[in-house]
Amino acid sequence: MSANRIMVIDDEKIVGDMAKLSLEQEGYAVETFLSAEPALERLKEEKFDVVVTDLKMKGIDGMEVLRIVKKLYPETKVIMITAFANLDAAIEALRGDVHDFFPKPVKIKELKASIQRALN
Amino acid sequence: MKNVIDRIKSLFGPSREDGGALSIKTVFRNFKEVLESNNRALEIIADMGDKLGGDYLFDINYIKSAYSELAGTVSNSLQNFDALTADKYLKLHEVSQRIDSQIKRLIYDVTPSRGVMVLSFKDITWNMFRDVGGKSAALAEMTNYLKLNIPEGFAITTSAYDEFVGHNLLRERIDSLRKSPAVEDRLLKELSDLIMSGTVPHDLDNAIGSAVEKIRETFGRGCFLAVRSSAEEEDGEHSFAGQFETVLNVPLDEKAIKDAYKKVLASLFSPNAVAYQTALGYRVGDIKMAAGCIVMVDAAKSGVIYTIAPNGDREIMVINSTWGLGVPVVEGQTDADMFMVKKEIEPELLGTRSGTKEYMVVRLEGGGVERVVTPEGMAGVPSLNAEEVSELARQAVYIEKHFRRPLDIEWAIDKSGRVFILQARSLLGMDSARRDTARRERTPESRPVLMKDKGIVVQKGAGGGRVFLLRHPGEIDGFPKGSVLVSKYDSSNFVRIMPYVSAIITDVGAPTSHMASLCREFRVPTVVNTGDATRIFEHGQEITLTVDEEGATAYDGIVNELLENEEKNSMRMEKLYEYRKRRYVLRYISMLNLVDPMLDNFSPEGCRTMHDILRFMHEKAVVELVANAGHGGEILKKHAAVKLDLPIPAGIVAIDIGGGLETGPGEGKAVFDQISCIPLRAVVRGMMHAGVWHADAVALKVGDFFSSMMRMPDLTADRSEYVGYNVAVVSGEYLNLSIRFGYHFTVLDCYCGENARNNHVYFRFIGGATDMVKRSRRVEFISSVLKEFGFTVTTKGDLLTGRLANVNRDGMEGVLDQLGRLLAFTRQLDAVLNDDASVERFVKNFIDGKYTI
Repeated sequence: MSANRIMVIDDEKIVGDMAKLSLEQEGYAVETFLSAEPALERLKEEKFDVVVTDLKMKGIDGMEVLRIVKKLYPETKVIMITAFANLDAAIEALRGDVHDFFPKPVKIKELKASIQRALN
Repeated sequence: MKNVIDRIKSLFGPSREDGGALSIKTVFRNFKEVLESNNRALEIIADMGDKLGGDYLFDINYIKSAYSELAGTVSNSLQNFDALTADKYLKLHEVSQRIDSQIKRLIYDVTPSRGVMVLSFKDITWNMFRDVGGKSAALAEMTNYLKLNIPEGFAITTSAYDEFVGHNLLRERIDSLRKSPAVEDRLLKELSDLIMSGTVPHDLDNAIGSAVEKIRETFGRGCFLAVRSSAEEEDGEHSFAGQFETVLNVPLDEKAIKDAYKKVLASLFSPNAVAYQTALGYRVGDIKMAAGCIVMVDAAKSGVIYTIAPNGDREIMVINSTWGLGVPVVEGQTDADMFMVKKEIEPELLGTRSGTKEYMVVRLEGGGVERVVTPEGMAGVPSLNAEEVSELARQAVYIEKHFRRPLDIEWAIDKSGRVFILQARSLLGMDSARRDTARRERTPESRPVLMKDKGIVVQKGAGGGRVFLLRHPGEIDGFPKGSVLVSKYDSSNFVRIMPYVSAIITDVGAPTSHMASLCREFRVPTVVNTGDATRIFEHGQEITLTVDEEGATAYDGIVNELLENEEKNSMRMEKLYEYRKRRYVLRYISMLNLVDPMLDNFSPEGCRTMHDILRFMHEKAVVELVANAGHGGEILKKHAAVKLDLPIPAGIVAIDIGGGLETGPGEGKAVFDQISCIPLRAVVRGMMHAGVWHADAVALKVGDFFSSMMRMPDLTADRSEYVGYNVAVVSGEYLNLSIRFGYHFTVLDCYCGENARNNHVYFRFIGGATDMVKRSRRVEFISSVLKEFGFTVTTKGDLLTGRLANVNRDGMEGVLDQLGRLLAFTRQLDAVLNDDASVERFVKNFIDGKYTI
């Protein structure tokens, strides 16, 4: 069985870097993107099991990513991460089809557990 | 006689000269506000340490908002501090603004403004990595933060490179090379030639000129420089080892330096270097070249240290060494000496291999270097002695611990024996060569568990070693490297052992103490407030401690699996450049440099971080409070005093500034049960402890009495109702007690509340009566007892001061109860301290709860 594929989209490099390093440790195949546009291009080519995306980004934002991902692959789980200030928007996202959401800073252990749940 | 009075008065603190003395209530309110703001600030610092510790995904917004709250809190604290100290430390504002702007520069990624072409090492910070290149950034880090001996120097930045390229119209040529699919060596050679014949732009010329002038002023004309490459990416993710030019022993002549600089620039385009860059995925022109100009060390011997063994064993480092300059070692061209050293614990030499070192490289008088045959009598002789090996190993452990990855360190020892570090870069490619340790240890489950899930977590992780049970603060000097520190209290004095301690366990303490910040900074697995660790562990016992969310668990013996897991986890995030860069801001926030208030650097100027500022304010706020509360006379005039009606004749009058007594209006007396001041209750309880108050005064010999008359003038000449009384200024949590028992003056200043971090005891004793010898025995007695309780004690003649801080409420009450007993017990003690042995005997008796004289 090949490794589960995780995509991480956040406009700050450090978030993707740290997520990649920790998630690869768990045996996942991780790809990171600094904005939604190239990430969505990549999604057209290939399916990912879980997409972790920042909510607020320049250009296409996290909500839009959620919509597109769900249209392309209804079974792909989306985890939203966001700054505390955008909590309301995050809750709105929860009403949609988001698997989970976390305010930043995100405890890596909790993110891992959430991904684990998403894959089961 | 007047002089004596002045002297004694001055011991009780300076009086306010401005006439507008603040009421003790105002002073105390300001004091409390300083403490409260400081606490909030320390909580933010602790949270930042946690969130940036590798367990969280964070972004710059978190750092921005956390820091902005921190800055606001510190500024609030500063305002109250100014009010408390009557603007005594205005310099602190300047210092805090400087630190603030350094932090903001990091957070907002402000790099040197365009056009800064030359930077002295001391002005370089981590976020200038891209400007000065990896090599210079690491050197600056070692000199500015590790305070290691690094030759002085300056960096020529990548902006200078841009200027040079633009000025000599080379940009287009580089771009065309960049676009061509295969780069011809001929074109590279042409580019190099153009660089060598190019001219240094006017502004850069001036900047280099003034940097050189500064070096000349400090080191004189006879000084030479090494001009070294320091490319943007060099010594970072890729080592670029040996790819670029280094020009050694360049005379302090501007033309020679500029030529060397051009050689370094040109080396960026040498066919080999370009091939290397291409292999790593860089195109021509992607990488910019900065240079470091460093004062040459007059090296007697030099070499390289690998902080892990070639087989990947992290416990062993290898030192290669040769006579003269290090070139032959770096280039692997000589049969150098090799020393294998076991690290962590006091470096232990495991093996030596003496090389033939058939030739050596030496400096030439007029500049440049020369390869010569090693003189007979040196060639086969080891170039380092045991002491030098140890010193190099110690420094290497320290540097590795700081950069948190295996390193390749270049060093030199000059003719007067001083060690210099010349470079430190990541040792790549050895990480994967992990030691294949057989599972020789049993699993943790089968290990006896000495302690489980205890205490408050300060820093997660695992550490193992021999237990060092600290009994007195002074013993810390004898701390063996690699041990596990077990101590009753925590102390910021532990900073000295931070690079070497494997783990820390304390009985009491708070996760936001100064020590706790240090532990996070150094990533030392630490747990505080375990209650009884000092009773669980034995001195010298080998243990392994793991600290996780649940608390600390200790296993008997060394459990290698736990330690190896730990090593992998903590090293992981450190590999990320972005992570290191972001985390770097903590160096200006949570590092603690002001540790010992007795040292000269304990000043506003000595503050280099936000934490230092908080530490300084805290210490000085306490001093100010003691000084103000010491004006017993002032206070008595202004506040209603209440006599304590106790079963012992302690003669204490209390002045309540809020919540210290439960007396009705106009009630002039209070019994023990009416004391609601936590510290006063504890002290008085101690005084009333059975047997400590000896009703029968010990008869003084005539000589003793005369001697005391000479020393103790009538301090209570101001005949008021309260003459002869001891004064306690109290609130719910605060006590300032000026007490005179017999012929001795004691000031006890104390804050004791629910938050351990706020708590302090300041104890000052001035001996009186009896002769000098007996007085000093009493000081020795008190000093020994206070140390037993964890105090840091200093004595000067018969003046003794003791400090204790950061102890939780229960611990404080225990200590204060003991101080009450001590005050009562020592009233007449020195009259019977007839020999040195009796001091020891009384200390032991006191600790054992035996109070008979």
